[in-house]
Amino acid sequence: MVARAEITVRWLETNKPIVLVSGVDRDVNARALAVYADQGDLKADMSLPPMLGRYWTEPGRLYFEPQFPLQRGVNYRAVFRPDAKAAPIVSTFKLPLQVAEPTTVVAQIYPSADVLPENLLKFYVHFSASMSRGRIYDHIHLLDERGHVVELPFLEIDEELWTPDLKRLTLFIDPGRIKRGVKPLEEIGPALQEGKRFTLVIDKAWHDSGGQPLKGDFRKAFRVGPPDREPPDPTRWKIEPPRAGTRDALRVNFPDSMDQALALRMIGVPKITGTATLEDHERLWKFTPSTEWRAGTYKLRVDSIIEDLAGNNVGKLFEVDVFENVQRSITKDVVEVPFVVQ
Amino acid sequence: MAIVWLKGTIMKSIALISLALGLAFPAANHAANWTAGMKEGKLELKSAGPIAFGPEGILLIADTKAAALAALATGDTKAAASAKLTKIEGINQKVAGLLGTAADQILIEDLAVNPISRNIYLAVSRGRGADATPVIIRVKDGQPELVSLDKAKFSRAELPDAPTESAGQGNRQSNPRRESITDIAFLEDRVLIAGLSNEEFASTLRAVPFPFKTVANGTSVEIYHGAHGRFETRAPVRTFVPFKVGNEAHLLAAYTCTPLVQFPLSQIQPGAKLKGKTIAELGNRNRPLDMIVYQKDGKDFLLLANSSRGIMKISTDQIEKMESIEAPVKDGGKKGLPYETIESWTGIDQLDRLDNQHAVVLRRGEGGALNLESLTLP
Repeated sequence: MVARAEITVRWLETNKPIVLVSGVDRDVNARALAVYADQGDLKADMSLPPMLGRYWTEPGRLYFEPQFPLQRGVNYRAVFRPDAKAAPIVSTFKLPLQVAEPTTVVAQIYPSADVLPENLLKFYVHFSASMSRGRIYDHIHLLDERGHVVELPFLEIDEELWTPDLKRLTLFIDPGRIKRGVKPLEEIGPALQEGKRFTLVIDKAWHDSGGQPLKGDFRKAFRVGPPDREPPDPTRWKIEPPRAGTRDALRVNFPDSMDQALALRMIGVPKITGTATLEDHERLWKFTPSTEWRAGTYKLRVDSIIEDLAGNNVGKLFEVDVFENVQRSITKDVVEVPFVVQ
Repeated sequence: MAIVWLKGTIMKSIALISLALGLAFPAANHAANWTAGMKEGKLELKSAGPIAFGPEGILLIADTKAAALAALATGDTKAAASAKLTKIEGINQKVAGLLGTAADQILIEDLAVNPISRNIYLAVSRGRGADATPVIIRVKDGQPELVSLDKAKFSRAELPDAPTESAGQGNRQSNPRRESITDIAFLEDRVLIAGLSNEEFASTLRAVPFPFKTVANGTSVEIYHGAHGRFETRAPVRTFVPFKVGNEAHLLAAYTCTPLVQFPLSQIQPGAKLKGKTIAELGNRNRPLDMIVYQKDGKDFLLLANSSRGIMKISTDQIEKMESIEAPVKDGGKKGLPYETIESWTGIDQLDRLDNQHAVVLRRGEGGALNLESLTLP
């Protein structure tokens, strides 16, 4: 019987097979079949555990269905050995790698301005499609004006600060390379220096969620301006109210660029729904209501945790020198600025 | 930098606060029924890691993607005084083999040792994209095995994600904010969680009472709520350990630019401006990755794995007498608690205490292989 045993692979879906051994004894032990996901390393492959999956039998037949979908490019090896003395029957199968043109690009990097404060706190890197996690910092480089790599400018955290769809990465400048009084600053200097030019490079070797590299390198060149040590003050923002009876945008002009994500999320008009956008390098906030404005007094409501590009909050500087000033006050959580629609 | 601000957010109930935080630190509650309120069924995770063990073989799993914390009763409670592990080469390949994929398609997010059975658990992501599957692995007899989440005994607590109220919520835009959990630990009757947001630069430290739920009039009630037990600092906590200084429970937290800061847990109160005590400056270009406490010859030591040098062995003998470092440390000096660098412990990504004599580490080997090794505590 055993001599006639044969392994075949049936495909339920592209990446979901069932491995079938036919011509087996009625009392075959399901564990006589093991399917391995080879790692392309002979030594490792000899001591791999079998893949997880479900086994079942029918008269003369033994089945295995892997628990997880197959991975393209991996060599799968089904081994049937009904008893220790018998020579094993081996069959291999794989899903070929898909050759596709890379399509994913860096869609935008915020802040979008090309002059950034010396004490810049973060970048947001937006991709056109979901990316892959793991060892991402290998693909992100900050170059100085001579093209030399700036050493460890970013806060590298294993958890990686992504949105759930893996389309936006938050990249913090290492706070130790921004703040005063912290040793890295004294020893290796700030990552960004006023008056100099830098380039943030996202290299194309970074793979998207589908395993394809980026379509090309992305470079954001910028010049470094003076540090921003002025906390944002909504009472000094220039509000341009819309006209009553229209759905015109409410326009709010900031003197300096604001953090893009927080400016979209932390500013609003209570009880009015609508859509906020940012323009003019995140210096102009535009809010288009879902319904027409009515004449009257409204409030612009700003959560005080909104940040400017240096991470200063409303009423609170990012860079508080705690050695000098321990009695910093805790500010209230929301600031409201009235405006009139006529 | 060396002084860390803790700012409590608005609290709604004094009773809940004291429940959540314990204004006085309670004695270990040995009589607690830790699995009270747990349900049986499928534990759905969107992501897994960091992980840490609580009492009675209960594995605490941070699910960052779901902004939740899960407690899984592993049932792995057969006591072992010591562990058998020496070295498993290519644990990432073995895990990939088990999960039917390639080693470059898995990420080992965290490692934790069950302090009862001494078995090693790994939080693994199968896949690196947005549709990755979280998996919990137990290492047994040199091979990985899957911990079933389909028929599990577990409880779950939601972590509040976005700030309780944001001014722009009328914008009708999806909220891309997410909080990454950088470390969790269990201490006596609560889970401590350090997190970092992907938008505002605020690192949070929270205490969630455990068991998560109490049953009153037959309904499950989440004790943990929005702002309770949440504190902000202006620098991200990378890793921390609970540690007793004298008889008082403290947190020792390592920050990304490596000062080691001590917080007395009893004084962490909502609304308080708490001054953490900086007890060591450990040098720059050096990111702390993981930290454990162990005893040797009757003394307590800390081991701090970091990105750029051998592991640091920090003596805690003087911790009670240590003056807070109040002035910036100049000239690249170190200050505070004395430490030595164990040069041979390099390339370490993850670390936990295996038994009284050993640590287990996840260590980078040749060609992208990750090895699981047992090392004698220095």
